[in-house]
Amino acid sequence: MTLTLTPSPTARKAGARRPRNHRRRATLQWIATHALALALALMFLGPLVFIGLTAVMTDHQALTSQLWPADWEWGNFSDIFVKAPLLTWIVNTLMYSVLATVFMLVSSIPVAYALARFRFRGRKLALLLVITTMMLPPQVVAVPIYLIWARFHLTGTLWPLILPMLLGDAFSIFLLRQFLVTIPREYSDAARVDGCGEFRTLVRVILPMARPAIAAVALFQFFYCWNDYYGPLLYAGTDTSHWTLSLGLASFRAVHRVQWNLTMAATLLAMAPVIVVFFFAQKAFIEGVKLTGVK
Amino acid sequence: MKSPLLLVAAAGLAVFASAACTAGTESAPKPPAAGSTPDRKPVTITMWHGFSADNELKAFDDALAGFKRTYPWITVKTTKAIQDDQIIQSARGGNPPDVAMSFTTDSVATFCRTGIFQDLKPYLTASKIDEAIFPKVIAEYTQYEGKRCVMPMLADTYGLYYNKKLMKGAEPPKTLSELTALAKKLTVRDAQGNIKVAGFVPSSQMYENAPIHTGTMVGAKWTNPDGTSAIGSDPAWKQLMTWQKDLVDWFGYDKLEKFRKSLGDEWSADNPFNKGKVAMAIDGEWRNAMIAADAKDLDYGTAPLPVADDKPQLYGGGFIAGTVIGIPRGAKNPEAAWDLVKYLTTDTDAVVSLSNALRNVPSTLPALQSPKLEKDANFQTFLDIFASPNSSTLPAHINSVFNQQTLQEAQIKWESGRAPDLGAVLTEADKKINDKLKLTSGN
Amino acid sequence: MALLYLSPWLVGFTVFFAYPLVATVYFSFQRYDLFTLEPVGFLNYKYFWQDEAAWTSIRNTLWLVVVMVPLRVLFGLGVAQLVTKLKAGAGFFRTIFYLPSLVPLVAGTLGFVYLLNPGTGPVPTILNAIGIPSPDWFGDPAWSKPGLTLLALWSVGDLMVIFLAALLDVPKQLYEAAALDGAGGWQQFFHVTLPVIRPVLMFATITGVIQTLQYFTQAMVAARVASGSTDSAGSVFTPGYPDQSTLTFPEWLFQEGFRDFAMGYACVLALILFAVSMVFTIFLLRQFRGLGEEEA
Repeated sequence: MTLTLTPSPTARKAGARRPRNHRRRATLQWIATHALALALALMFLGPLVFIGLTAVMTDHQALTSQLWPADWEWGNFSDIFVKAPLLTWIVNTLMYSVLATVFMLVSSIPVAYALARFRFRGRKLALLLVITTMMLPPQVVAVPIYLIWARFHLTGTLWPLILPMLLGDAFSIFLLRQFLVTIPREYSDAARVDGCGEFRTLVRVILPMARPAIAAVALFQFFYCWNDYYGPLLYAGTDTSHWTLSLGLASFRAVHRVQWNLTMAATLLAMAPVIVVFFFAQKAFIEGVKLTGVK
Repeated sequence: MKSPLLLVAAAGLAVFASAACTAGTESAPKPPAAGSTPDRKPVTITMWHGFSADNELKAFDDALAGFKRTYPWITVKTTKAIQDDQIIQSARGGNPPDVAMSFTTDSVATFCRTGIFQDLKPYLTASKIDEAIFPKVIAEYTQYEGKRCVMPMLADTYGLYYNKKLMKGAEPPKTLSELTALAKKLTVRDAQGNIKVAGFVPSSQMYENAPIHTGTMVGAKWTNPDGTSAIGSDPAWKQLMTWQKDLVDWFGYDKLEKFRKSLGDEWSADNPFNKGKVAMAIDGEWRNAMIAADAKDLDYGTAPLPVADDKPQLYGGGFIAGTVIGIPRGAKNPEAAWDLVKYLTTDTDAVVSLSNALRNVPSTLPALQSPKLEKDANFQTFLDIFASPNSSTLPAHINSVFNQQTLQEAQIKWESGRAPDLGAVLTEADKKINDKLKLTSGN
Repeated sequence: MALLYLSPWLVGFTVFFAYPLVATVYFSFQRYDLFTLEPVGFLNYKYFWQDEAAWTSIRNTLWLVVVMVPLRVLFGLGVAQLVTKLKAGAGFFRTIFYLPSLVPLVAGTLGFVYLLNPGTGPVPTILNAIGIPSPDWFGDPAWSKPGLTLLALWSVGDLMVIFLAALLDVPKQLYEAAALDGAGGWQQFFHVTLPVIRPVLMFATITGVIQTLQYFTQAMVAARVASGSTDSAGSVFTPGYPDQSTLTFPEWLFQEGFRDFAMGYACVLALILFAVSMVFTIFLLRQFRGLGEEEA
């Protein structure tokens, strides 16, 4: 599950050549850095552990300062489905995430390809505009967009969040484009010599090569939607039957009057898919994050 | 095409022009044809309500079953735990339910003035219902500027609940200083000074301690006749908050907050009054039903809220509000919706059985006088408060919600000790309320 | 040809960006609640100057930009640097450090509010056990923003991965040369590492600022859950608890536009947000100046 990281080879070599007190210092340093890393790791994992422990407490115990569950209430995980329409929310969240991701891919890949490969006037301007829309806060244009959807009577549903994905997503376009420009032109040229049209070249040659980047943007989009709170709050906040998991989770205590233990159980449930997928697709994630940090 | 930007600009202008022309031209609601569903065609209507506690949900389902027996062709699909902002959003967005219910009367002015709820006068006329069946105070909070856009579905009053075992024979307090003395006497702390049992939690953030409920203890006024804020100029607010802060300080704000944040949820079986963690609490009449459902063995009593020492004449009254129900603008089946609203708010049997189950105060005169209304001493207290001439409601105000939030925020600042000058805090609240009034009314 | 491929985005850009931007300017001169539209001149702009909540939200957002963003960058860099120094289990540690950044914002925030909740949360319990008085984090206006900062530091993983990649990209020869010149650890960091990764740091800081200008979810959820019992039935929640200390600018915009439906006024706030974030976006665009050239 881990990626190999190359520790600086020079350091190891240098250590071997140096006198003994240097080696002892290196050992001390080894202990110090690893101890620090271990302490940090505990702090990073701590919240998750405590959330997990609270999730299996009785509601009464969750209101005390005890840290360790006295009784292990595994039934909490089924109780949350009774307390709130969790199943509906999960289905809604999945619908939002899956459709948005598929739509985004269908619309954004050609755009990214055009920006990476075609030469046309205004190409640089178009790229700058993509970056601008990617960076600007969504709240800037929220009011008129809300009015558009209200006109179509689609507020109160998740469609205002899903349908625009058919028209491309700036972040994904940018990320894909960053990857596509790194594919040497020779590949597509060769395909064209073989008589492939622009579209066939994209589908047959470029897409298979861009698989890691596509996987990364798909994962990002999926989890962006899975975690999204602002969007569903804005559009689907009215009717609980259109809520997503994030929206429901936030309302657990305030609206649905649910106790801490059950809230933490639901919290854990919302985290679980993300964490599971991460362990299976860690590489795609990490590669994707690196793409976002382009110089 | 020279540049994508040109295309974009041209298209943008086109879309903008078309949208700007049509903005704000949503069609106004049509008046009802017959005001009811004489053809008995099967229809399904949607309804949003605010109930979330188990006993409430059951009681309301029973009421709907009664409706179904009378109107077998109408099926009601409900959504629970709805708040006002959800109703407002859905009506503004043009996607509302057929019937919506609000637990507060705070938004009635907004509902009526903006037309979020339809005016029900034509329906009432068509169904030949006389509005005189509603007590006068209720008529006040269900209308605004001559429009009746909601109907009352049960009323709420607020009183003092006290745990007889923890009181050890003490009589419920009638004045604020008696409340303070008793609260101190009944409070139990552990060795570290943490609160184990509180005689009374004075924090304004405690469940039903919002200023709208506590204000009646001192007879405080919210607004002047012109709609501007009276909070800074009415000395009653200062009196209330000074009393409150003194008691908060006796507990220690931090200790009190720590205690408050370890309490069970208000609407669950773990409510601290049910659990004997507080000896006295301000609460609505519905608590009677919840105690019956969740804490059968609790030995408790009810009384009107204590009042300011220098205003004994206020004793016996309290704050009155209620649940309101109406038909949002844009409802798809307004006729069938009216049948449901009419049934839930004017059918005496329906109102009485809902009242018996929820222990809310019935909102029609026939229901109040009905022999079927179950009365015990603890519930009778609230019927008396409801009937008291000293009781009052908050007159409908276009910014009612904002005004209350503003005062509540000011009160938290003050009681926490983060703002030492009460006069300045209240003057600031005045200013915010008046500024907001300018923005919404445009003067 | 290019136009065909670009068409989805062109339409999207027009409908969901260019038009709304123009319309925002138009609506900022109106009173509009989705039912009635009424021109009011500069009333919305005038109200902004006296709207104390708006200014409070600006101060809060500024606090987050000035404190949270640099802390996140420094912490991310520190953790990344630590991972490069690890000889055993670097991949394992990196996974753990990255993991919290994937946790859904709402879930992470809920978790933190509970963890820091006085009376029940493990953190105050542990702090009290070792004799440190714990503040009422999300219930105390002096500690609510630091509480949110802790949450932001916990999910520093994405920055760490970016910095880690940048650090591993620093040519080894540079360190060897510096070591030969007798440069110690810190000197190597300041004279070799920092200059090489400076663009990445810049990028992370600017995007961090722009992201913080949109800071919404965590503040909203934390306030909502921490206020707890004040959210009684029927009443409408106002963000910012306690004492508007967590009220951010986008939250106020949301509140005015989509809760109070003062949409005209919300457009004024939107234009201010646009102006400020545009400044930082232009900074960023300058970094991309060479972009689009490399293939031409």
